[in-house]
This record gives sequence, C-alpha cells and structure tokens, in this order.
Amino acid sequence: MIEVNGLSVVAGGFALIDVSFAVAAGGYGVVIGPAGAGKTTLLEAIAGVRRLRAGRVRLGTSDVTATPAEQRDVGLVYQQAFLFPHLSVEANVAYGATDPAFAAAVARRFGVDALATRPVSALSGGERQLVALARALARRPSVLLLDEPFSALDPRRRAQARHEVRALHRELSLTILQVTHDFSEAGLLGDVAILLDGGRVLQVGRPDVVFRQPATPYVAEFLGAENIFAGSITRLGDGVSAFQTDGLTLYALGDAESGAGYAVLRAEEVVLSTDRQHSSARNVFWGQVTEIATLGPLTRVTVDVAGTPLVAALTTRSAEDLSLTVGSDVVATFKAMAVHLC
Amino acid sequence: MTRASHRVATVLAALAASLLFLFLTAPVARLVAAGGAEGVSSLGVDRELRDALLLTALTATTATILGALGGTPLAYLLARHRFRGHALVAALLDLPLLIPHPVAGIALLLTLGRATPVGHALLAFGLRVAGSPTGIVCAMLFVSAPLYLSAARETFARIDPRYEAVARTLGDAPWRAFRRVTLPLGHRGLIAACIVMWARAVSEFGAIVILTYNPKVASVLSYERFTSYGLAQALPVAAVLALLALVPLIALRALRADVVT
Repeated sequence: MIEVNGLSVVAGGFALIDVSFAVAAGGYGVVIGPAGAGKTTLLEAIAGVRRLRAGRVRLGTSDVTATPAEQRDVGLVYQQAFLFPHLSVEANVAYGATDPAFAAAVARRFGVDALATRPVSALSGGERQLVALARALARRPSVLLLDEPFSALDPRRRAQARHEVRALHRELSLTILQVTHDFSEAGLLGDVAILLDGGRVLQVGRPDVVFRQPATPYVAEFLGAENIFAGSITRLGDGVSAFQTDGLTLYALGDAESGAGYAVLRAEEVVLSTDRQHSSARNVFWGQVTEIATLGPLTRVTVDVAGTPLVAALTTRSAEDLSLTVGSDVVATFKAMAVHLC
Repeated sequence: MTRASHRVATVLAALAASLLFLFLTAPVARLVAAGGAEGVSSLGVDRELRDALLLTALTATTATILGALGGTPLAYLLARHRFRGHALVAALLDLPLLIPHPVAGIALLLTLGRATPVGHALLAFGLRVAGSPTGIVCAMLFVSAPLYLSAARETFARIDPRYEAVARTLGDAPWRAFRRVTLPLGHRGLIAACIVMWARAVSEFGAIVILTYNPKVASVLSYERFTSYGLAQALPVAAVLALLALVPLIALRALRADVVT
C-alpha cells in the first residue's frame, strides 16, 4: 500500500502542497499531470530521496516518513533511466539485487540479457529504460515508483514492457505508482488515477471515473474532454438534471446541485447521423457541420447547435459513409449519462 | 559590419591572441632553453637542489592529500546542499586565492606560530609549524586548497543527484552511494583537482618564505640563489622548476583528453 497524507515538499522554487491519496496494497496507481505538476517530486518524496516539509508517508503497514530511502523497500525508475555509466548493463541490473538468479531472470524478461556486457553509453534511450526497469525490479521491491518508464520505447516494445511490468506486478504483489502523460496508458494500467497540477492534487479516483466525471472544468479540459459548457443546472428529480447554456438544453444523469455549473461531454460520446433516428438517447439536436478535422483513422467534426459548437469524434470511415462536408445538416445524439455536471 | 571591417577585426583579434600567446610562453621557453640542460645535469651533483626538489614534491603531495581529505566532503556539501550562509562560506573559502601570498604567510604565522595558542598546543605534541616541513605543508595547503575545493565542487555539481537517489533506492546508505556511484563518476574531476592543487603548491613561494625559509623548497632555493649569487646560479634551479611544472600540466591534459562525455 502507498498512503500519502498532507504531504508538502519544497524543491527549489516549486512546492508540492498538501498531497493526499492512497493506492491499495497490490494496486496500480497512475499519476497524471502536465509538465511541472510535481509528479517526479512526488515519487522522490515517497522514495525518501526528497525531504518533506510536512505530511506522512506509509508504505505497506509501516509509516516510513522518517525511514531512509535505502530501508523503504522501494524501486525508483526515472524517465531518463540514470543508469550508472561506469558499470556494464549486467552490473547495473545486479546493482541492488540480493538474488543473482532472480536478477538474471528479470533481465531476460525485459530482453536486456542480450545487452549484458554492453557499456551503458552504447544503449539507445529505449534500451536504457528497459535496463532501468530490470535494475529496479531485480531487487524485488514491495513498492515500485515509475516516472514515465516507457516514454522512449517504440510501440511494440512499449506493449511488451507494459505486459512484463503488469505480470511482475501480479507475481510479486507489487504496489506500483506510475507517472504518465498518456491517458490511454492510465486507463489501461491504473486502478487509481491521481491528477496533479501545480503541486496540488486535483482529483483522485478510478481512472474511468476521473475521465468520465472530472471534478472541475480544468480537469475535464486537461483530460481531453472537448465539450465543456458553462451554464446553469436545474434538478428535475428522478435522478435527472437539465443544463442550460446559450439556448441549448442538455439532460444529464445525477442529482447535481441547482445553480451555476459546467457540463462536460467527451467527443466520443456524441453520435452523428444525417437523419433523426429512434433511440433511447435524451439529448438529440439538429445542427450544421462547421469544421471537419481528419487525423488518420479518427475524424473530429464540429457541429453548430443553436450557436453552440459541439465536437463529435467518429471514425474516418463513418465520416466518409455519412458523406459529411462543411455545411451538412446532421443530428447529434448522446445519452444523459454521457453528460457530466460539475 | 562590412566585409572589410570584419577582416580588420579578425586580423586584430588574431594579432592580440598571438601576442598574448607569445607573452605567456616565450619567457618559460627562454628559461628552459637557457638553463634546462644545465639544471637537469646538475641534479646529479647539486645535492641542495635535489633535496629542495624532493622536499617540494613531498610537501606538495602531503598538502594535496590533506586538501583532498578535507576538501572532498566540503566540496560535496557545497555542491549538493543550500543552507543559510552558503554564499558566505563559499566566498570565505575562495579568500586565500585573492590575498597576496606573503600576507597569507603572515596570517598563518599569526595563527600557527610558536607564540600563538595553536602553535603552542601543536608544539606540545612535538609538531613545530614555523621553520619546518609542517610549515611548508600549511602554507601550500592554505594557498592551493581553494583550487581543489573549486574544481571538486564543480565536479560534484556536474553529477546529477538522481544517480545517488537511484543508488539509495537500490539499498545504498548515503556513504555507500557516494563511494559506489558519485566517486567513480567524479574521479577524473577529483584527480584533475588534485593535480591543479599539487601544481599550485609546488609553485608557491610567498607564503612559504614567511613561514619556513629553511628547509628550502625549490622556489625558495631559486630565489636565494638569485639574490645571493645572481642569475647564472639561479637559472638551473628555475629551469628545473619550470620543467617540473610540465609534469602536472601534461597529466592534466591527458586526463581531460581521456574524459568520456
């Protein structure tokens, strides 16, 4: 388990302020946040290599706030790997290992055994990250802290490395906290998502909940929600609320407090069609296409609905099937449960 | 800038650089040319010169070892930690570089001389500072240790502290991480710092001559021969000292050329 309570750290001109969250024993936490949010500083504070100004850190069943880093049973992998350049790959992997056979097995699993005698300076960025992962895991830590450990890997090796980390996570009952910029990675790996910005925690929760129900418009925007509307909320009862913005009324599930608020709708929740179809969706609007942006297999279509721009994400194939062009009349449909009020 | 004025500026810069190069190298080259051969051959017969050179090498080496022993943790502390008074401590440690060296010798005499409490206490342990090799070591240490500190501090500052952080999470206590990671990563820089300190210690004259005229180090011997017997007698000693200065210089260049970036 990783439990952080009221953690504050000052690092140069930057500060982590009152950070609290918990990742259950054997869980996989994911820290998401923009550059400069304090993600690496947070990992360092948990690892014990950053002095705390306030707060407590618990790892497993122990309060380790005053425990030196070398006694915390924590593995730390930086994005830049920080392999020891005066040692070979093999010596790096074995650096903190207590069981050479296990260290060799971990090296094999990450495919770095073939690099054993190579000097660190001869490795690519991706290879360095794999060696750094093997080095941290070879010690069999109880807690693994990963700072964007897959960022330099090509897609194939990234998938393999993720798979191995996930497998070792299960086999060794590791508790992992990983920093990532990649939202899909967060959803793929994490049991808990911790959203950090400006040294403060913005939201903690299951990744799918954080993505679908962002706590604030800022979180929604940061997580890539393209439809964020400011307006007023009216409770209708029976767990349904109405949200009004610029002449547009949306229906949302949940008993949000009446008054000023925001509605968040992910673009992939919006279905476009060229005529009105019978469906269970509560939100159905006629609109006109104002912009079409195609990026590979995905197309983003902006529809003007009574003066309010609404973004829909659909496959490029679907967009072609609908013969969409700028100026086309379309029907935008989405369920009430797709609208999150905050 | 027009093409013509650019050419004029280039010629002027090349001229200034060449003049400075000649100014710095010509006197030493002239000295070695005039007395080098005689100096090297006199090593076999001039016992006083041999003894002075040996004393110079031994005291400079002792001062360098002491400087490295005390300077390494101090340089590490200054490179890795910011604390109240950090800038003041750093400035105070640079001070010996800025004061005239005879003044440094006087300051040392006032602190370590026989009449002082420290000097008196050291005498009680049989350690005489003024007028002894210990005094030479003290003078060398005082004027050259700041160079070691500065170079060592720069070396540690260049090593990313995250290497040590990783070593700590891999089970190393701070000292062990320093020994297993920081020292191997910084050893070239620290050796270079030692060489610079040793070379500076060998060339010291002003502070030594105040604190310990006898026994004579090579710089004091060359000065004495110049003032007592004239240029001809001083030349071989001075030339050998100049040649001796080449040793650390070559070592330093070799070390830097071998540095893997």
